[in-house]
Amino acid sequence: MSRSKTIGVALSSVLLGAGVLSLMGFGLASAQPHQPALTATPTGTRGHVALTISVYPDSQFGGNRGTGGAHPDWVSYSNDNLVVPANSVVDMTVKQYDSGGELNNSVFGNVFGTVGNTMNVNGKEVSSWDPTSIGHTFTLRGISGDGTRLMVSVPLPFDTNKGAENNGGGVYIAPMVVKFSFKTGGKGMYEWNCEFPCGGSRQGQFGEAMSTYGYMSGTLTVK
Amino acid sequence: MTNQNDNKKHHREIFIVWALLTVIGVLVGLYATPWLMPKSASHTMSMGILTMVIFTVAAAPVAALVYAVCLYALTNWRHRGEGVPADGPAIRGNGPATTLWLVGSTVLTLFLLIWGLGLLGSDQSAGAKASIEAANGGSAAITVDVTAQQWLWSFSYPGTHVKSLDLYLPVNKDVEFNVTSKDVVHGFWIVQMGIKVNANPGVITTTSVTPDKIGTYNIRCTEICGLNHAFMMTKVHVLSDADFQKWLASQPTRI
Repeated sequence: MSRSKTIGVALSSVLLGAGVLSLMGFGLASAQPHQPALTATPTGTRGHVALTISVYPDSQFGGNRGTGGAHPDWVSYSNDNLVVPANSVVDMTVKQYDSGGELNNSVFGNVFGTVGNTMNVNGKEVSSWDPTSIGHTFTLRGISGDGTRLMVSVPLPFDTNKGAENNGGGVYIAPMVVKFSFKTGGKGMYEWNCEFPCGGSRQGQFGEAMSTYGYMSGTLTVK
Repeated sequence: MTNQNDNKKHHREIFIVWALLTVIGVLVGLYATPWLMPKSASHTMSMGILTMVIFTVAAAPVAALVYAVCLYALTNWRHRGEGVPADGPAIRGNGPATTLWLVGSTVLTLFLLIWGLGLLGSDQSAGAKASIEAANGGSAAITVDVTAQQWLWSFSYPGTHVKSLDLYLPVNKDVEFNVTSKDVVHGFWIVQMGIKVNANPGVITTTSVTPDKIGTYNIRCTEICGLNHAFMMTKVHVLSDADFQKWLASQPTRI
């Protein structure tokens, strides 16, 4: 093989490798949350911010409103791209509109990592919920670059309210209202998802909606 | 005569390169290897680090010989002309080289085998001791049930009401882990304690360790398990026995 041909083959190999890596990077980047950021708002109490999200039995609402995204029948959080300030207390409200059942790991019936290790369900303060009557969970975890660690898990009860089902007009009413607070540390990006087996396709029912941003998984960016 | 002198010169120069590379390899083994590995928080990990150091040092002269010959050949015997050069004469029947190669390889391989089996045996004995003590309810050992699911670890402490998402252990006590998964295959790795075992759905796999340093260490998943695999990590807090008992007593009753 002539020298110029050898150099040509070597260069082509390098370019091909770079192309494959670029495609992988593009794929990973496009797997990030794509819904508009939902930024927490100050509550008036110093250091506190408020954030409200919902969980729906399908994805016609919230971040996928009007389209349902690629999978209109999948269960869905209203937004997968949450933004909160660093070193603050986040007063979070989750409106849970879905039915549910039994957790496959009862430990997620407990509240972890919130202020006081408790949550407020429809006005009642509790530290756990019957693991056989869970709709979903909001489970947040991660370690940021500066070592700040977040570990918060809150069970969201099965919505037993009359009228919780889609009433035909495309509106869900009477959710279970779950309130809790947690503290953020330094800046970083954390991941959250549901730990109730509400996905499909794989062992443990943790596929599909459970493993897809825009549905039951998302990020919390601490800025 | 000139050819013999040339050969001696080549051998001498290759030997010098080999010796230099061996020294570098040994220094890397002695200093870089322990620096690159996680700090030890158990005897198992200390032995793992020692094994890495010894194996790197033992491999250094072998690797150095390969690199020395390659480097020397590339710099001195590279064909610089046009076209493909003719093959040189075949080399056959070099008794001393063959003997050295066979004896050296055998000794090194036997050394690695005996060291590895010895280490494995001592680990299994420690694990068996921990299992027996845990089964007998002995105070010298504790059992922790480890459950993996996408993408979290959870821990429960049999005989207590305690469940946690961080792992808490007492120092200098044998700990037996019963590891399982609720969904797909995960890998339970306590980085600084040198233990790693797969968490398989529907199966309980046991492993054991004796933490020997108070501190906070890392647990990671080592099997690619889905969207948030990279975030499937938590902490293990090794406490004094008194602090561990206090922590157990302070925990709320979990369902």
